[in-house]
Amino acid sequence: MSANPETPSTTPAASRFETFALVFGIAFGILYVVCDLAAWPMFTYHPGTDRIDPGYAPARRDEGPAMYWYGWLASSALGASILGALAALLPAKIRGKIPLSLAWMVPIALLPVLLYSLKFYWRW
Amino acid sequence: MDFVLDYISVNTFWTLLFIVHALLAVALLGALTHQAAAVLARPRAGVGGLVARFRSVSGPVYVTAICVLWVCTFVLGGWIYAKYRIYVRIPIEQEGLFKTLGAFELKEHLASIGLGLLPFYWHLWKNARNAAYDSARKWLTVVLAVICWYAFLAGHVVNNVRGFGL
Repeated sequence: MSANPETPSTTPAASRFETFALVFGIAFGILYVVCDLAAWPMFTYHPGTDRIDPGYAPARRDEGPAMYWYGWLASSALGASILGALAALLPAKIRGKIPLSLAWMVPIALLPVLLYSLKFYWRW
Repeated sequence: MDFVLDYISVNTFWTLLFIVHALLAVALLGALTHQAAAVLARPRAGVGGLVARFRSVSGPVYVTAICVLWVCTFVLGGWIYAKYRIYVRIPIEQEGLFKTLGAFELKEHLASIGLGLLPFYWHLWKNARNAAYDSARKWLTVVLAVICWYAFLAGHVVNNVRGFGL
């Protein structure tokens, strides 16, 4: 979809929602990877027993595996929401300077980090 | 949800849930692929073949459906994921198929990152007439489409390895 030539082609002052959504999207991805690498889940879920522990908790003996993914999502969502809200409070002049292209560049930049974090699985 | 199990077995319940998850993923894949094709290669006037018609969709029409489908597919996948962790992943680990597991781990990571980008993606498409958003809208759509294709294929491979009947 490209622009209609009769519509404005200049960048408008970024709205607060636009800034929130942009910063939320960027921060969510980065925080998610950080939480994964640093083992910072908000909580740990033990699916075998339906137990939930706050923060990081190792698997318990004879209770099956521990899952951190839900906790990473919660940590990332909370952190990204805070950062997005703070960014939305910035003056319009500064909000308009955040490059929109970061929204698609950050996920691409995170891919090698994710692949490295999964190096355990790429054994031959 | 326990009342459901009065009528169907536990295996049937999770199999049905998985099928719904997969069907939602198919719908999401189709919608995102149409939209990505539309932004990557605009149809030329006078060309009316199958490919031209495939990419000549109106991108903004798809955006809300894509966001809803992504969230619904993600929530269902997250629900099934707990069962996957015990009844699917452990047997695959025991078979030593680590690359398959790694591919699935990457799928969960990418789908999560994609989820966080949906509000901005929605905003860009809801302002589709603004030329200042063209580049970001185009490439973010393509990135989400690539994530969706990868997630679909990785999930398909894992299902082929383990199959139904958790």
